[in-house]
Order: sequence, then structure tokens, then C-alpha cells
Amino acid sequence: MRVEINLNGKPFAADVEPRMLLSDFIRHEACLTGTHVGCEQGGCGACTIQVDGRAVRSCLLFAIQVDGSTVRTVEALSDERDGALHPLQEAFRECHGLQCGFCTPGFLMSLEPALASGPLDDEQAIRDAISGNICRCTGYAGIVDAVRHASNTIWNDPDIGTVDDLGSLGEDAPRSGAGDE
Amino acid sequence: MSEMIPRLVGQRVKRVEDPRLLTGRGEYVDDVHLPRMLHVALLRSSVAHARIVGIDTAAAAELPGVHLVVTADDLRDRVQPIVCDILPPGAWQTSAYPILADGKVRFVGEPVVAVVADSRYVAEDALEAIGVSYEELPPVMTVTAAEAGPETQVHEAWDEAWFTHKQLRVGDIDRVFAEAAGVTRRSVEVGRHTGMPLETRAIIADYNPSSNALTVHMTTQMPHIMRTGLADHLGMPEHQIRVISKDVGGGFGVKAELYPEDILVSHLATRLGRPVSWVEDRREHLLGTIHAREHFYELEAAWDESGRILAVRAEIRVDGGAYSVYPYSASMEPGMAMGVLTGMYDVPVYHADSWAIATNKTPLGPYRGVARPSACFAMERLMDAVAHDTGIDPLELRRRNLVRADQMPHTTPSGLEYDSGDFEATFRKAAEILDYDATREQQEELRGEGRYLGIGVGSYVEQTAHGAAEFVKRGLPVIFGYDTSRIRIDASGNVLVHPTSHSHGQGHETTIAQVVADALGIEIERIRVVYGDTQDVAYGSGTLGSRSMVMAGGAAHLAAVELRDRLVRIAAHNLEVDPGDLEVADGEVRVKGSPATAVAITEIARWAHHRPERIPSDLEPTLEVTSSYGAPPGTGAFSHAVHMALVEVDPALGTVQVLRYVVAEDCGRIVNPMIVDGQVTGGVAQGLGGALLEEIVHDAEGQPLTTSLLDYLWPTAHDVPFVEIGHLESLSPFTIGGIKGMGEGGAIAPGAVIAGAVEDAMRPLGGGFVRKVPLTPERVLNLLNVDPTGRVPESHEENQK
Ligand code: FES
Ligand code: FES
Repeated sequence: MRVEINLNGKPFAADVEPRMLLSDFIRHEACLTGTHVGCEQGGCGACTIQVDGRAVRSCLLFAIQVDGSTVRTVEALSDERDGALHPLQEAFRECHGLQCGFCTPGFLMSLEPALASGPLDDEQAIRDAISGNICRCTGYAGIVDAVRHASNTIWNDPDIGTVDDLGSLGEDAPRSGAGDE
Repeated sequence: MSEMIPRLVGQRVKRVEDPRLLTGRGEYVDDVHLPRMLHVALLRSSVAHARIVGIDTAAAAELPGVHLVVTADDLRDRVQPIVCDILPPGAWQTSAYPILADGKVRFVGEPVVAVVADSRYVAEDALEAIGVSYEELPPVMTVTAAEAGPETQVHEAWDEAWFTHKQLRVGDIDRVFAEAAGVTRRSVEVGRHTGMPLETRAIIADYNPSSNALTVHMTTQMPHIMRTGLADHLGMPEHQIRVISKDVGGGFGVKAELYPEDILVSHLATRLGRPVSWVEDRREHLLGTIHAREHFYELEAAWDESGRILAVRAEIRVDGGAYSVYPYSASMEPGMAMGVLTGMYDVPVYHADSWAIATNKTPLGPYRGVARPSACFAMERLMDAVAHDTGIDPLELRRRNLVRADQMPHTTPSGLEYDSGDFEATFRKAAEILDYDATREQQEELRGEGRYLGIGVGSYVEQTAHGAAEFVKRGLPVIFGYDTSRIRIDASGNVLVHPTSHSHGQGHETTIAQVVADALGIEIERIRVVYGDTQDVAYGSGTLGSRSMVMAGGAAHLAAVELRDRLVRIAAHNLEVDPGDLEVADGEVRVKGSPATAVAITEIARWAHHRPERIPSDLEPTLEVTSSYGAPPGTGAFSHAVHMALVEVDPALGTVQVLRYVVAEDCGRIVNPMIVDGQVTGGVAQGLGGALLEEIVHDAEGQPLTTSLLDYLWPTAHDVPFVEIGHLESLSPFTIGGIKGMGEGGAIAPGAVIAGAVEDAMRPLGGGFVRKVPLTPERVLNLLNVDPTGRVPESHEENQK
């Protein structure tokens, strides 16, 4: 079957079997390998992309289900900025929000729409926002810091403070414990 | 005058690898697309223990799009099964891990038939058309069953149930036990779980008939060792094989083995003359990639009135699964557990026996921490038990038993050479961060409100960067004695570094560049670190055992220093000064005390390549050096840490919330504090998984019940608090720069710490001794049926499983 989509701002079409997963379509038909597959069981979030502006798990959809849709993958974040990093990507680098990087595209694609709709600076709210994505490497500390940092940059909220105040990894700054109430 | 270039070792340098990974431009194995590539799917054993009566592949082979269907019969004499024996002497029984099951299957998930097809979809269709008939045998699912002498052994030729049995005898233990003020006995165990990197294993093999060369892209932490393993098992000269492992989505030890699939896919590519790809799915990962932990301990401690431990007696059993894994052998887990058990504590008399026992389960091997998390769990459970039996505060009891700073260097009863460290200071630091006394008060207060908080304490000494001496002692067939780095300064004065370590999250592109930048006095932007291609650098062990910064980083330092000397000699020759009068800094070689007389390194690099007349006659042109380093004597650099946690238990639901987690650690000189903290936090997260969530469970027939992410639970962002980290820095006398390894440490203590904390929280409710992790809600609730010595009333025994 023919599947035609708008992929990162450009038309893309291919003939595929109805059973082809959207994740395989993007990775192996469109050859955009930034989208990763960690489980194909809907359990890790590594394959998260955006379909018509909403974050979805591409391993849980068939390619034919998004025929006619607008699809955005991690490659778009910097491509849309002529190769410069999106503030969220900058924040992940600044706060050591990634190690092996395999989960990272999924986190970025889940978080970008969340951050676009308003500031995201409360620790529990951030943890809720990323609870559908698994990172096996970082223990999430750098990711939580990165989201606050990005929220600060994007929404320019002076109350959130700079990255140093957030106690990023490797700075000997105090940080709040998850148990603080 | 040149710009000042700051020294980078010790700085929080942002990672060089990040932009690539953040923009989706990483290159993981499954991102490699080769023309004419075929895809493999594997039919795996659906039973734990059986003879294979027949395999019918005819219908599968007929399906359109299927190129080849192979069974063990088609592989005979073409590839070798994986055998990994220890070096003699030592009590050992061998096993052969077949590439495809040959006549018998020994665990659910063992590969039986391989299909090669145009796509993975077609290959999986073909699996449905294959018929395998099994004559089932009684499965051996526990070490107890194995030792009881089952009807059918996992390996028929064996006389005993074990791969290996080792003994350690130090001191007159019977006398000490007879004279002791008291004796504490406990049985403890650590459940089976596994590394679970987010990227599963994958391999793409590409055979080029023209050059008769095999290129293998694989998710491995150790490309060179894999190249040798492939050559040996394929019967192919090693110089025809190239292993490439670029970006890898986490390893944690489970990508540091040679697996049957590696040999199989390489063989199929050679046989078909086309690229062949196999990408493990998550279910296969949970079945076929090595499992870890599953240790059983019988422990006894003799103590005096003050709570000083006089002697420890231990029996350590490891459920090794069906086969010995390459290149560690089944002996690594029990041997190491026996060696590191006593940890930070000064135990003068120590007797231990350890076994790796074969069962009908997935083979067991190293996962972050290797045997240490289980050994730490056992020892710290024993310390908590002694604290209970003597009535001494658990923290105070530990302090009384520490190896003191004035005892350094200290040789443990198992022969480990602790080089440095002030354990008591590290305890103090952790207690200070947690504010131990205030937290005890808070705990008391909240109990009044019906809230049950608990404090847990755990510590460990982490042997890291061990080399020749240690691996020889362990009897491993491959001695991971050194790593290698090759450095080239090109004609433009840019630097290319090829270490034999492999980075799958650890950030070597940054930290090794920091070391080289300091040695050469140049900007980090001019340095590129590329790892993962066996063609680039001679040979080395790869990344395992918290060794890379010490070994490959040390080798990079040595190579850079030699290059620096060459730069100085070329500069001296041209400036007509004595080399001893020159220094290297800020991108130039200059006369000490007279910085205006200088030559830029870029200029010297140009001369070394294009202006041979400017090079001293006894120097070769070009600037390239390869160095190997093994941190002699290779007994290891000892990091250590103390972990503490504050948890809250809901006694109605059995759930555990980790409120605070504290780590005070000493890993010698820190190269990049951001990366060190990231490694600590990531390790703790994995340790918390093993303490509370992750467990591979089998039913009595040997069927694994945890084959998806619905049953096997990884920690999410809600399960891991921010880790509060404090650092101490005692330099290793054995390594370059005093650096020690630290990649595994975070994962070692959480099991012990959480067990202690949950037990502490449950005590006022009558909760008993915690003998096993993970502490699932069911196990937490069952603590109310256990007494403080760990005994279970008979009617409850079932529940304790
Ligand atoms: S790959 Fe889609 S959720 Fe894991
Ligand atoms: S960085 Fe490795 S899984 Fe998140």
C-alpha cells in the first residue's frame, strides 16, 4: 500500500505492506534513524515521534495509519534551526541529560510539545511528563534538570534560575530530594 | 603570544559526543543500511530441558522471500560451539554452548533454527512454519534441585552439579568461633535480573568475496576480543575480520560476551555472500541475553562483646544457568564474590566455599558491579544482623569494624591489595550528608504519626581497573591485562586518538580528549577520539570492569607524552636550544622563562610531515605513537563508597518509596565531575531497580514469566530520587594520575541499603529479617511472617519464595 506523509516538512511516500510498523517505516524506508526502537512493546518510549503535533509511540502504529499526516522526528529539531541545537537539546547537553543517547530522541520528542504549551519547572510535574520514557543510563537526574533549564530558557522565567542554581551533575550545589514535601 | 589554554582534567567539560546523539545522528548498529541486506529471525526453544527429536523446516524453506533455513546439522564442522573453560588448576567442568541447539535444548530461549529472508517480517513468518518436536526432560530450575542430583543433569557427562568449586581458608576458624562472645547466622539471596540496556543486541555481518574479508558491525563493549572470538569460532584468519562497534545504546556488561548469534550471523553472511542482519527484540533480549546476580549465601559471623567481627564463614552458590559464557567463564561470579565479600571490614579470619551451579536457565554473566552487588548485599545483611543480635546501632557497628586509614595499604584475607582510602571519613561524609542523627529523630517522630521510615547503610570497596595479576588469579582464559591507545598528530596539527576502550554512554570522546589535551597543551576542539573499529588500533581489552579511564586513558596519556617529547625535540632542533629548556603549553613549544621564543605545535606538525629537513636526523617523520598500559602490577585500583538511604514503607500495600539516597565516594582523581556524578546516579538507578523492581521469574517447568516490559519492571523517573553525592579523593599509587575506576560503583550498594532500610522501617510492626531482593510489595508484606533471624514459620514458607 502507498503511504504518503509530510515528514519533517518534506513529502515522503513509499509502498509498504499494511503490517509495517511506523517505526520501521521511518527508520528503514525513510532512513531517518534518529528514532530508536527499544522494545516494540510500547514500554520504553524510545520510538516517540510527533504525528500532527502529538507525541506518539511509533512502534505501536502501522505506517498506513498515518497516511496523509504530518510527522516530525528528532532530526527536525536541529534541521529547522539550520543545524543549531534546540534549547531543549542544549539543556540536555548542559545538564548531562544523556549518556548512551539511545533514549534521548524519544525524550526530546515527548518533551518538546509539553514545553511548548507552558513552563514545566516543578520537579513532580517534570517526572510525570517523562514517566512514559525509560532511560537506563542516567537515573533521570540530568534529564529533570535539563527540562527545568529548557523551560527557563524557553519561557524566560527569572524565578527558575540558571543551570548552576539547579545543581546540575558535577556541580557541588545542593539539590532537592524527591522526598521533600 | 598565544592564548592561555586551561588544564582540563578535573573540569566539568561538556560532552563532545552529545550534539551527534541529540540530533539523531548517532550511528547504532541497526542504523547501518547495506545494499542487498538479508534479515535473520531465530526460532528459540520453547522448553527448558528436552531432547530434540526432529525439526521440520521444509515448509519454511519454500516460502517466498526465504533464502536459507539452518539448523545445527547445517553448521556441523563449519562453526565451533562456544567453550569457555578456566585455566588449570581449579575444579572445573566444561560446557559447550552450541551456535544452534544440537540434539538437546537447555533453556527457554536457546536458539534452535535460523531463517534468513528478505525482511525480518518474512523471516518471522517462516518461523511459524517450522515444526520442532521435543522429548521433554525434567528441568533443573534451582541450585538446590541441581545439588540434590537430578534425574537428568543439565550436562550429561558431569559428575557434579557445578561448573566450578573454589575454596578459601584463612585462619583457625573453629577456634575463633568456639571462643567468640556470640555468633550470628543468616541465609540471604539476590534474585535474578539483568542489565537491560535500552538498545538490544544487534549484529550486521558483511562478507566481501573479493577481498575475502568479513566486516561485522556489532553492539559490543570489546571489539578486539570479539574479533578473536569470531576468528576462533568461524575458523577464519583474524586478519580477515574487522569488527566495528560505533554508537552502542548502553552495555552494562551484557554486551561484553560472545554470543551464538554473533557467530551464526557472521557465518550466514559468509555463506550467502550477502550482508546479513539480526536485531534482537526485547523478548529475545530477556530470554537470550545473559542474566545476572542470583546468588545464595549461607553466612556465619563470630564477634566479641564490642561487636568486632572476629571471623566470617561463607558458602556462596551462584545459579550459573546452562552454559559458561565467553570470555569470563562461569567461575567469575562465585570467585569474585568470595574475593570481595569482606569489603571495607577488617575480618582477620575468613573461610569460604563458592560454586557456580548449572541449571536450565539462561546463562549468567557480568552486569554492572559483577559479583559485587550480591557480595555487598550479603556482607551488609550480615552486618545488620550482627547489629540486631548485639543491639549496637548499625552505623556504629560498621565503624568499629572498618579497615582503618593507618592500616593502608591493607591486604584482605582473600589477597586483595587495598591501596588507599579513609573508609571512616567516607562513612562520616555520608552520615553528614544524610544528617544521620537528625534523620533518626525524624524517623522516631513520624512513627508516632503512623508513618514507617527506615534508614539503610551499605558500603563497598570496588576493585577497578584490575589487570594481569587479578585475572591470572581468577584463572580466566583471556587475561584483560592492558588497553591501548594510538595517537596521531596530522600535518595540520590536529589530533586523532584511537583507544581500545569502547564508550556506550561513559563519554570517552570527552574524558580521553581531556587527558590528551592536557598532555599536549592544546585545545580539546583539536582532538578527536574515535573508538570501536578494530582496524584503527592494535589490540586491547575493551570496556569492562571499570577500567577505561585508568587503562585506555593511561595509554592515551603515555602516547601523548611521547608525542610531546617528539614535538619538543623537533622544536629544540629548530630553535637551537636544549630540549630540557623547553616546555609545552598553550598550543606551542616555548623556552621556559622566555615565552616569546616559541614554535606553534601546528608549525611543528607541518614540519614533521612536509619538511623532513627540519627534523633531527635520528627522528622518523610523521607523528604517531601507540602505547599500551596495564596499571602494573595489575591488582587493581580500589575505589570505595558508602551509600545511605531513607525510605518510607506503606505497610498496607507493601510499597517502598525512596525518599533520599546519599552516596559518599572516593574514586581517586576525578577527570570530569559531571560524568562521575552521572555514572554514580545511573548506577544507583540500576541498583534500585534490582532492589525493588527487577526480577526474572521462572515457573516450575522452567518457563520464564517475565518476557515483556509489563512483567519486567525498569525504574522510571518516579522510582529514582536525585542522588545526593559527596566526594573524597585518595589517589591510587598504582595508576597514572592516581585515577581509579568508578563506572560500576553506583550499582553495587543499593540492594544492601534498601534491604536494611526496609527492615528498619518494618521493625516496629514486628517485621523480620530481609533475606532477599528485590523487595516486591509481596515480599515486604511477608516480612511480617519472618522472625529477626530470618526464620520463617512453616505455614508461611511458600510465601517467602
Ligand atoms: S520501542 Fe516503542 S515504546 Fe519501546
Ligand atoms: S542515555 Fe542511555 S538509555 Fe538514556
